[in-house]
Parts: sequence; structure tokens; C-alpha cells
Amino acid sequence: MVDLKVVVEEVRGFCDLPMKPGDYFEVRGGAIVIPEGGKVCLWALQSLMPLLPLKQRNIAEDNDWVPHTNKIICPDPKGGVVYRIEPLGANLHPKSESQDLPLRIVADPSKCVGCRVCELTCSFVHEGVYCPDMSRIRVEKDELTGKDEPIACHQCGTARCVLACPVGALKRNAATGAVDVDGDKCIRCKGCAKACPFGAIRFHPESGLPMICDLCGGDPKCVKECAAKALEVRER
Amino acid sequence: MKGSYRNKVLDVDLTSGTAKVEPLSEILIETFLGGRGLNVRRFFEEVPRDVDPLSPENALYIGIGPLEGTSFPGSCRVNFTARSPQTRLLGDSNAGGFFGPELKYAGFDQVVLRGRASKPVYLFIHDEACEFRDASNLWGKDIPDTQKAIIEELGDSRVQVAAVGPAAERGVKFAGIFCNLVRAAARTGMGTVLASKNVKAIAVRGTMPVEVALPDMFDDLVAEIKREILVHPQYKGRVYLGTTALMSSLNQLGCLCTRHYRTGRFEAIHQVSGERLADTLKVKGKACFSCIIPCSRYVRIDEKGKTILASEGPEFEGLAAFTSKVGNPDLKEGLIAVDMCNRLGMDVITTSEAIAFLMELYERGEISSSDADGLDLSFGNMQAVYALIEKIARREGIGDLLGDGAVEAARKLGVGEDLVMHVKGLEIFKADPRGLKGYALGLAVASRGGDHLRSEPSFEFSEDAEAARKLYGTEDAAFRLRYKGKGRVVKDYEERCAISDCLNACKNTLVNMEILSYDRMSTLLHAATGIKLDPEEIRLIGERIVNLERMYLVSHGVTRADDTLPKRFTEEPLPEESGPSAGSVVELDPMLDEYYESRGWDINSGIPKESTLKRLGILHLVNGVLDESLVLRR
Repeated sequence: MVDLKVVVEEVRGFCDLPMKPGDYFEVRGGAIVIPEGGKVCLWALQSLMPLLPLKQRNIAEDNDWVPHTNKIICPDPKGGVVYRIEPLGANLHPKSESQDLPLRIVADPSKCVGCRVCELTCSFVHEGVYCPDMSRIRVEKDELTGKDEPIACHQCGTARCVLACPVGALKRNAATGAVDVDGDKCIRCKGCAKACPFGAIRFHPESGLPMICDLCGGDPKCVKECAAKALEVRER
Repeated sequence: MKGSYRNKVLDVDLTSGTAKVEPLSEILIETFLGGRGLNVRRFFEEVPRDVDPLSPENALYIGIGPLEGTSFPGSCRVNFTARSPQTRLLGDSNAGGFFGPELKYAGFDQVVLRGRASKPVYLFIHDEACEFRDASNLWGKDIPDTQKAIIEELGDSRVQVAAVGPAAERGVKFAGIFCNLVRAAARTGMGTVLASKNVKAIAVRGTMPVEVALPDMFDDLVAEIKREILVHPQYKGRVYLGTTALMSSLNQLGCLCTRHYRTGRFEAIHQVSGERLADTLKVKGKACFSCIIPCSRYVRIDEKGKTILASEGPEFEGLAAFTSKVGNPDLKEGLIAVDMCNRLGMDVITTSEAIAFLMELYERGEISSSDADGLDLSFGNMQAVYALIEKIARREGIGDLLGDGAVEAARKLGVGEDLVMHVKGLEIFKADPRGLKGYALGLAVASRGGDHLRSEPSFEFSEDAEAARKLYGTEDAAFRLRYKGKGRVVKDYEERCAISDCLNACKNTLVNMEILSYDRMSTLLHAATGIKLDPEEIRLIGERIVNLERMYLVSHGVTRADDTLPKRFTEEPLPEESGPSAGSVVELDPMLDEYYESRGWDINSGIPKESTLKRLGILHLVNGVLDESLVLRR
């Protein structure tokens, strides 16, 4: 358990309490401690509440979302007051918080023009050939409705594919946060693809191994090649 | 060395329901490269000259190029070649989209369809295999329903479909093959040929990787080319409007086909321009496979909370066809007409010509409503346009007459043959040739009839006098309203276009944006295929193709007398309101002289000289033809 400090980082809208940048309160053990003359907004507090006990505890899975989430916004649509939760004293998540946040590829289907250059790029970078079926990213298309939806690994915090693998062939890459596939261990059961909530895992047409986005080691090439700028790299 | 060719041809005999895989000969690759070149080479040799275009003996060649399936931008097109039922000459048409590369991933460079299936089928080509599947329940369906049913039946949204619509089934002679719903190989009736073989569609799915000979070098070259495209002065305009930019720009120049080529400016241009379309109805941009220029568009028309049209397109040709050409100022109504043609599977150029030609006859009082199933054929009457499109596709009433094309319709009506805007039986595009002399010459000599995509001599817009003098011997070549030098410009651009059709890469980038010089093409082809062809050898392939296609026409008696344009363009000056193009006519004869001379063709007959054919190494292929053509000329 660790104590927390919750600080107003930014006011994007209008708060009539008012909460101002720099205002704060502390969470010590099971109590909320408000500095003299200070106050806490009820709207914001009810949003913050579930997070507070969670942030007081250490999390074993290093890629879990909790260590990487330290901001929350007041639900008053006019307000937009952003709160930052920081540890008081000992840093609970030294490893995670000292490194950059893990990345993921975010796609905007309304910008995607359906050219599939991302697929060609991915297969060339990873396999040295041009083959959309060997790409880790793919564009789901429906010509009748005009849908072009790029689908790539979401780099989940608690990755269902990793949990689903019965032989431990899928593992986090400590450096990039992406999921690595151990081809020697994989038994081709396809359980990972079934577990993926985004349908982002497909299988190599020759080796039968799952193909999961490795973020090109941290600098995804498909994003660079997307002329329509429908792909973006964001911190998770 | 591994390269980007498959070196495999799928040879399908529909009559017996069998298919075999054959090697593609290296010598054919080095002399005809791919796509259009390979198709016409084999067609010339294998199909009897006098074949009935709709008989089982006519073969349909489907060819793709060496860059297909790689990351080269826009290398996605596919060529369909056969004898044309519409012109009874060379039939050849190509389409973009996603079908071509999928064929490469399925393991082939070319597919040949011979014979005729005993009942409706569709082919499913996947990873070096070919299945014949029952299409009885697809017969009669329009293009979108056909594609949807096939994708559902095969259970894979990545299947690419090339289909024919109801118009082709009913023998409309200008029916196209539609890839990815709207990517049409529309011209010269290739859909009619496919339907005559009882083939409703070709579905393709491939998972086989395409390798290039020198991957790092190829990747670097492509990266360099892409960078140039992204900073090209045309890039932003093409992303915004694609070819629909031509509506406004041709109108400004005074040579936008308006009310059937009677004037060059449309008073309602701002209501139907590409800008208007992009700003009001475009949902988002769309691109073909591997292309970084999303020049196409997905459009939606909602009225009273209901979507009445949602589809990709149209390009300039479709947009002009059913707005300025038929005198219609309503953008939405124009789009609906284009969509109807796409669903029914007909060429918008020929369909709109058949309709606009009738409208002109009607206005002149040469036909009346009673000749046209009671329709009021006034320009701008879109209800009549819709009715005619439906009737043509069903070959019903006046539509049956038009279903053989506008030229045939005029012959049967006995009026207005001069008023059909065609060359050699193929109707022309929506720019008025009087305002673009080089394009005019290109139409007159194109090897598939009145077609602008055989040459696209866009250089004549450049106004770059210095380059014109250097490249074509006269500064006139750089100005659209002058005729000198155009013979040489068209020769040059015909060869570039032929190569573009062999690589099956997009002409917008290759020819109009001039992104791939022969020098660079030589390096790129080497990196992709491992085959070394020097720049001049590549240009020669283009020249060889143009000459072989010419010899096919010659074998059907075509001579200089057929390299002509409708009288309107050579005799009637564009009217005053056509602004900068006013007063212009096409000076065809001097351009033809110059063209034949630069081609090494006989100036009087327009037939390639023996020495030319010998230089191109195709004399042995055409020897009999030369003898026959001498007889024809006597």
C-alpha cells in the first residue's frame, strides 16, 4: 500500500466551484485528507473513487493498464477538470514509470482509403516478400458500404491472447511491450486468435504461426507508409 | 534468380470444364512484357481473324504485369483482350482496383478463357487452382448482388470479383467486366464476350507471396518514387478531385462535351463539377491496391433521411456522361444514371453516346417520341435517360436498337450516322477533340477505336516550348490548339501508354505525372524481375505492341481512310461561347502524315512498312497479313 496525492493538472472547460490547477488532496491509508482551506469536487470524486484503492496497490503484470493510467477527468461535460494521481513517497511502479509508455497502432477508418499499402509494407518488412496474407495488419473492406477498417493488435494491457496460450508460446517483449511468438513452443491451436477480442490475429499461410504486430521494434513502418494518415502511433 | 513474374498461365477450356497450368515463355516476356502486350501477342497468333466475337472460338485473355502485387504504387490493373463484338476489331480494356494483384497472389500472370460453358458458371481461381462453380442462381443478378452472393458463398471477404451484369447476359455489345463493383473494364464489350461464354464472374483469392529479384534495391526505388509522387504538383489536386477535376478545367478551356459535342461550355458547370461533388457528396477518398493517391471517392446521397445512393465513383467520364453531355444540371440525377450503368454492367461512354446521339436527332426533328417508345428525348430530361438505360440493358423497345451501340443504331434508324461520335465503331470520350489536337489524333489512330487511353498525349497542355522543340522538333507540340508536332507526340505517348498497360500500372502516375522514365523503368524492372532490358528495348516493346495491334486492324481492312474523326470535329468550328477553344477544328490530315511518317508506316495507306515490322521483329507474325492487306487494298 502506498499513499497518494491527487492534483488538478488542467481545467479544460469551466468549473464553478472552482477547482484550480495545483489544488490537491491526499489519500492516506483508508482516509481522504484535504489540506486546510481546500475542497474536493463531488462529481470528480465519484469518478476518482474506484481508481484510488487500485492505485494504492502494486500490480504484478507489468503491462497492466493501471500503472500506465494516472489521469482522470471530471464527468461534468462543461467542466473538463483533469486530475493527476501520483504516489506519495515510495514509487510503486519504478520500472513502468521510468520507461516510455507502451505504444499501439490506432486506426481511423474514416480516413482509411483502403489501398492496403500497410499490408504490403508489413509483409515486406517482416518476410521480405509482398503478400497481404503475411501481414500483421489488415484492412477489412466492404465495397458495398465503403468500409475500410485497418485492424492491428491493440496491445492490450492484460492480453487475452497471452492468457489463452496453453503452452506459454506468447510472451511480452520487455522492451517494446508487444507480444512475441515463440515458434518452437507454439502448437498451432489457434486459441490466441479465438481469445483476441479484436480479431487481430491471423496465421501465417506457410508456417501456421500466429502473426501478431511487433510494432517493428518500436517504430511501426506501416504507419509511416500510410499516405492517408489513417494510422497513428499512440501511447497506450 | 527469383523475380516478380509467376511464369505461369492458366489456360481454361470452358467447353470441357478443364483448366491447365502452362509456363509463360521467357521470350514472350522480353518482347511483350505483360498485360496488354502479352494478351495481344497471343490473341493475334491464336484466334482466327474472322472469328465470330460471341462464339466459343473467340478467346478472352486476362493479363497482369510484372510489378503487380508489389509495392509499386498503382500496379493493380488488369487487361482483358478478345475480338470485340462492338467494333468487330481489337477488343481490349483494362480496370483498376484489387483484382489484378489478387490474380498474382493466386499464382498467375495470365488467364486464357476458351470455349463456352454448357451452363452458367463462375470461376474461382485460388492458389494455382481453378474451380468451375455453378452460377445458375447468379444469372440475371446485377453487379453488386453478384459480388455479394459470391463473397458470401465463398465465405471470404478478401475474394476479388470481376463480374458481368444483366446487360452482358442479354448481349448488349458494350457491356463491361466490372471488378470490385465499379472498377470497369468497360470498353469494347469484353463483358459481352465473357457472358457469351456463359461465365458470370471470375472470383480470385491468392495467398502466395510475390518476390522481387533484388528486394533492397526495389524497396529503395519504390520509396524514392513514392516521395516524388507525394511532392508532385499534381498530388493534392488528384487527392481532392481525381479525374473529376477535368469537368471544370475542360469547361474553362472551352472543350467540355456539352449537349452532345455542340459546344464546349456547360452553363451549369458549378452544379455538376468535380469540386461540387467532392464538397457536397463525397464521404471519403478511395484508392486502388497499393496506390498512394486516393483519387477515387465514395459518395452518398441521402434524401429525407433515406440513403438513395451509396457507391464509389464516378470518374470524369461517368460524371460528364450524364451531366454536361446530356444537358443535365442536376448532380445527384447524374450520379444515379452512372450508378445504373454500373449495376447493369454497361460502358458509360457508349451508353451516354447512344442516348445523347438520340437526343440530338430528336432536337433536330429527325426522330420523334413515337420512334422512341413515347419518350420525350429533350436534352436534360433525366427520366428519359433512366428509361433508356433500363431499356438498353433489357434490350427492350428502342433499347434493343441501341444495345448494339450507337453506330449500329444509326444504321438501322437510317439517320444520323454522321452524328455518332465514334472512331472505328468505338464512341469517344467527353472532351471535345477540337480543343485538344493531339488527343484528337490519338482518337483517330487508337488501336481499339475512338479511345483516349491509348495515347493520353498530356504533353500538349504543358506549354513548355523549349521541351517541345527538343523532344518533338517544334514548339507547337506543347500547345493544345496547334497541330504541328502532334504526330510525334502521339507516337511517343502511345508507346508510354502501351508500356503502362503491360506493367498494368496506373497511367495517371506513369504517363500523366511522368513518374517513370524509360531509364528508371529499366532499373525498376531489373530489380523486380531480374531481367535486364535497356531503356530503348523497353520503348521498343511499346512500339512493337502498337504495330502488332495495327496489323490486327490492317488484317480487317483498316487503312488511313478509317483513321478519321466524325465530321463535326474536322468541319464545324467550336462555337463562340467556347471561349479559348472557339473557332477551332481538327486539322487531321497533316497530323496523320506526320504520325505515319514517324511511325514508319506508309503515308498513303497507313499500313506499317515491311522494314518497320522487320525492325520490331514481328514480320514473321504478320507476313500473311501484309499479303492479305495488299489484296484488300486492290
